Parts: sequence; C-alpha cells; structure tokens
Amino acid sequence: MRKTNWNKPKFRNSLLSRYMLIIAIAFLFIPVVVPTGLLLSLGVNYLLFPEKKLEQPQLYNSVDLEEMWHNEARELAHQPQPETIDAKLKEIKAKYPEVSLFWVDGEERTRLQLPKQANLPANWSTEDAISYMKTASNNNTFGVVAFISEKTDEPGGEGFMVLRISREYLRRGSSPDASFYGFFMFCMLVIFILLSYLFFRNIRKRLLNLESGMTRTNKNGLPVRIAQGRADEIGRLEQAFNHMVDKLELGKQREQEEEKLRKNLINNLSHDLRTPLTVLSGHIYTLEKEPLSSEAHESLRLMKTKMNDLDHLIDHLLSYNLLSSGRYAMSLKQQDVLRIVRVSAAAWYPIWEKSELEVDIELPEEPLIWEVDEQAFRRVLDNLFQNLHRYASSGKYVGISTVLRNGQLALLIADHGPGFDAPTPSKGAGLGLTIVDLMMKQMKLMLEIDSSSEGTKIYIYPASRIS
Amino acid sequence: MTLSNANLLYIEDDPEIGAFIHSELKSRGYEVTWLTHGDSALEAANGCNLVILDVMLPGLDGFTVGQRLKKQYPHIPILMLSARASIDDKLQGLQFADDYLTKPFHPEELVARIEVLLRRSGAPSSTPLQIRHLLIHEKENIIMNQDTGEEILLTGKQFHIFQFLLQHLGQILTKEQIYEGVWGEPYLDGDKTLMVHIRHLREKIERDPASPEIIETIRGIGYRVRA
Repeated sequence: MRKTNWNKPKFRNSLLSRYMLIIAIAFLFIPVVVPTGLLLSLGVNYLLFPEKKLEQPQLYNSVDLEEMWHNEARELAHQPQPETIDAKLKEIKAKYPEVSLFWVDGEERTRLQLPKQANLPANWSTEDAISYMKTASNNNTFGVVAFISEKTDEPGGEGFMVLRISREYLRRGSSPDASFYGFFMFCMLVIFILLSYLFFRNIRKRLLNLESGMTRTNKNGLPVRIAQGRADEIGRLEQAFNHMVDKLELGKQREQEEEKLRKNLINNLSHDLRTPLTVLSGHIYTLEKEPLSSEAHESLRLMKTKMNDLDHLIDHLLSYNLLSSGRYAMSLKQQDVLRIVRVSAAAWYPIWEKSELEVDIELPEEPLIWEVDEQAFRRVLDNLFQNLHRYASSGKYVGISTVLRNGQLALLIADHGPGFDAPTPSKGAGLGLTIVDLMMKQMKLMLEIDSSSEGTKIYIYPASRIS
Repeated sequence: MTLSNANLLYIEDDPEIGAFIHSELKSRGYEVTWLTHGDSALEAANGCNLVILDVMLPGLDGFTVGQRLKKQYPHIPILMLSARASIDDKLQGLQFADDYLTKPFHPEELVARIEVLLRRSGAPSSTPLQIRHLLIHEKENIIMNQDTGEEILLTGKQFHIFQFLLQHLGQILTKEQIYEGVWGEPYLDGDKTLMVHIRHLREKIERDPASPEIIETIRGIGYRVRA
C-alpha cells in the first residue's frame, strides 16, 4: 500500500495541480475581471465626479446610429409616401435632437430638411450627389446615407435619406469613464502575481528547510529526522529523507551492536589469557622469595621476562585485532600533545631512572596543538618508550624534544641505542610498531625513523600540513 | 612506613589469584577481607579503608559493584583489577574507581598503589611522615623542621600544593596536574602562578632552596616528592 503511495502521488496533492489551479483561476477570472473592472470604474467615476456626469451631453455610438438609420430606411421602403417619410424623420429628430436630417425623393428633389440646411441643392444632379457624398463624412461630422429601399445600399427608385451629426456627440474609443478600468485591471494582475509569488516562496521556504534539515546532524553524526509538511512532492521528499534517516540509524545501531559483540569477545579472550598468566607470575614471585640456587633464580628471571613478553604480546594482538578491523573508535580532538607527552614521560621516568638512563626532556612552554585521540597517542608513546627501554637501554640516554622537520614542529624521541638494524634479543617489536603505524595513520600523523648504530631518532608530526 | 593495619576489602572470584594476593597482603600487615562475589560487598565494605575489586565477577560485575560502593561510601577509594585490557574498560572503570591495574601485575606494584590510595584518601595514620629533615603530622596538619625544631607555617595555597604532592608521594606530577588538582580549574599555558608558589614553598621547607631535596624538579616534566 505504502509503496504505491510513494511512487504514484495523488494528483490533487501535487504542486503541479496547485499551480495549475492558480493559472486556471486566473484565466477563468478574465471574463469576470473585465466587466467587474468596468463596473467598478464606472461606479468610482460616478462617485467621484457626479456633476460631470450630469453636464455631459447625450452621447451616441456611430455604429448604433448607422444601424438605426438603415433600419428606418428599410422600414420606409414599404410605405414610401412622402408624408410617412416626413413624419418618420420628425420622429427621429425628436429622439436624436443633435442630428441633422434630410431626404431626397425619386425625382432627385430635396424634401424635408431638419433643420434647414443652406448648402443643399434643390434638385440633385449626379455631380451634386457625388460632391455631397465626398463631404458628408469628414473629421468634424459623421454622416450616413441610406437609400429608401429593401436593400439600403442600392438605389430603389424612392430616393435616399441622409443623417449627419457632429462628431463631438459621438462616443470616442476611450471615454473618460474608463479611466479607472486600467487601474482595476492592474490590481487584478498584481493580485495574480502576488499569489504566484506566495506560492513559489512557500515552495522555496520548504526546500530550504529540507536542506538545513539534511545538513544538521545529531551526536552520532547522522542527519536528524525532519518534520513532515503537506503530502505533495516536497512532503514526499521529506518522507523519503526520514525513511533514509531511519535506515541509517538502524545500520548504525547494528554496527554498534556488532562492535560491542566484538569488543566483548576480545575482552573475554584477554581475560582468559591473562588470568592464568597472573597466577603464574604470582607463583614465580612466591618462588623468588624462597632460598634457591643461582641457576634456579636465573631460570625464574628468564620465566619472568618471558611472562612480560607474553603479556605485551597478548596486549598487542588484541589491539592489533581492533585496529586492523577499524573497530578502534578514536575521538580525535584538538589538544596539546606536549601535555600527553609529559604525563607519559612522568609514568616512564621511574623506570628510566632505575635503568640509569640520562633523561633529557626539552619541551617548549607553548602548547603544541594536534588533532589526536588522547588514549591512542598515549599508547603510541608507551609503545615507543617500551621499545626504547627494551632495545636501546644500552645507550643510557633518552631525549624528548621538539624540532623543525619539513617546515613544521615535530616531536623527537631520541636514544643512543644500537639502532634498529642491530640483532634484537627477542622478537615482538614488529607488532608493536605495526600498531603504532596503524594508530598514527588513523590520527593522520607521520612517523619517521632515523636509525643508525649511533642511535635512533623518531620524528612525529602531522601528515596533513606537509602539502 | 606502610599504612599497615588498614582494613582492605578484596573481591576476586579466581581462587588461585585470590589466595595468592590475600596471603601477600596479609603478610604485609593489612587486614584483608576476601569475597569471591560482589553480592555482599556493600555490607562488607562498612568500616574498611580501601576496596580492591576485580572486574569479571560471577553475578554482579565489578563495574556495577564499584558504582554501588562509590555511591554508598564515596570516601572509600576503589582500586580496580582487571584482566581486560581495552581502553573503554579502563575509562569506564575510572569513572568511579580511583585507580586501575591490569593483570598480570607485580605484587609490589599493587602494594605501591594501595599505599598511594590510602595516603590520598587520608586514612588515619597516627604515625608522622618523615621526609628528609621534615616530620609531617598529617592528621594535625603540622610540619616540623627537625634541624631547628620549629614548626613550618605555610600559606593556604602552599599547604594545598604540598599536601597534593604528599598525596601522590613518589609520583611525578606535571604542572598541569598540580595546578588543576589544587586550583580545581584548567591550567592556562604560560601561567607562572604555580612556579611562584613552589619557589616560596621551597624557601620555607628546603634546607637549600637553590638545590631542593624535598620537592624535586623533574626537568621537562614536573615535580616529585619522594619518601
């Protein structure tokens, strides 16, 4: 059910349909808008200038006048007696006082003139007719000529009749009445644009909301679910996004569970390996206090050394397992690494003292801020110091300082031991260094080893700042 | 100078390790109560000076037991023992425990840490502490100079710094650790306050402040007071 809902949006819910609706309303409104605008403009005009309205003379439409004139001529063609025609013209003159009328009978004599016109010939020759027709309609006067016949455009033998009116009584193309009409049309247009603007602004706002929702993350680094709005295209996008967030959270949760399981396994393994080791070391300690031959003491000492090696090996193996599988969760933070170095050195100092090493620590007062995980960095240092203690104690020297290396401040750990190429009494340094390498890589640090028979120098510096 | 006759509660399920540590601690003069599970830890902890707690226990695990103990007896220090090495474990443990030791450990190290914790928790030690020419009555907050037979009077901050160093007897402390332990606020780089205080402190307690014997400077790291 849900799936079909996803793929096939309901049309009435879609943005497209809503925009179509706005357009459709706009179009449907045109026939309403035009007369409404006209009425409103007339109304406003009337309200604003009522006195102007009264002074206005009666206005006529030229087309209406022409149609009326031809109609009357057609009517008169049925009863072409001069008395009827005279009566009709008088009637028309009464109705339209501003016009001037006359008619010419079949014998081309001028008959009734309303009012009397000076320049009309009494008898119409063909020339007279043509010259009159030329001037009947001009800029100042509108004239209509109709033959008194069934077809008023053709002569029917009963003569013709002429109507003239000064153009000032005719309605012009744009009458002053319509002056507000444009304004109202403009208002309607503005409303339409405003509606469109609001519509798109709303869409834009929701898209921006969606964007900010996608960039916001919670403490797990996952995006946060966002509030779902209307069930249109954007609403479904939000729904899809939330669905994705749920999936991500589920995946993250599963990953965390797996990680927990793995950690538990390693912890149990560590416990099971170390418990017997603890018992063994306890018994060695008890034996050491017994009166024994020097050979027995020597073999106890050897057992103790091997026990320590085994302990470190277990530690390394477990760490390596976590690290190599990428399960070692680091929380990298900008912090002063010199502080960590000092704490680590403080822990190792008694051991160095006991082995009579010359300790030379020259660290600046200013902090050296790198992005590291404190525990992992401690462990790197511990592994390095452990190696130093095991394989380079003969040099009787440990130096910790900062130097410029490749243009940046590097941490330098130096000893005067026999170097890395010297044969080592016991194996195991390899795994420890591999762990150091893996951790350094995760913290984006570089480790450079400069080893000779004179001693070893280990440089540590951030990898990212080289370029 | 062990703080002997202190009462220790030791919770460990492994019989072999338990028996060994139990007898080792007893031989050093501690009163030790050994439990093989944490169920009755709360009752047993009543009146003891320190708890040594194994993480992997049958029933209630060490973390749970430790948290309950700390809640009921906030002043009793807890030392966690664990054969689990992961850093998470260590961090989880140190949220309530005062120290954390991984197995296998050397009995000497265990005893050393017990001593530090007992001293830090201010366990009643009627025997005064002797450091070089100084005799320190911790209970009464009196520092006697045995060369002159006079009492050394310290200002509040000087006393707190010295007390903090004594609580971590034998340990090297960095400037940051001392500052944050005494002032209770983060150390600001380049702050000379601590160095000034230590100079004045040395002028009062050292035979020769120019070559101090009591408060050692560990160059590049920090300071240490050794017994």
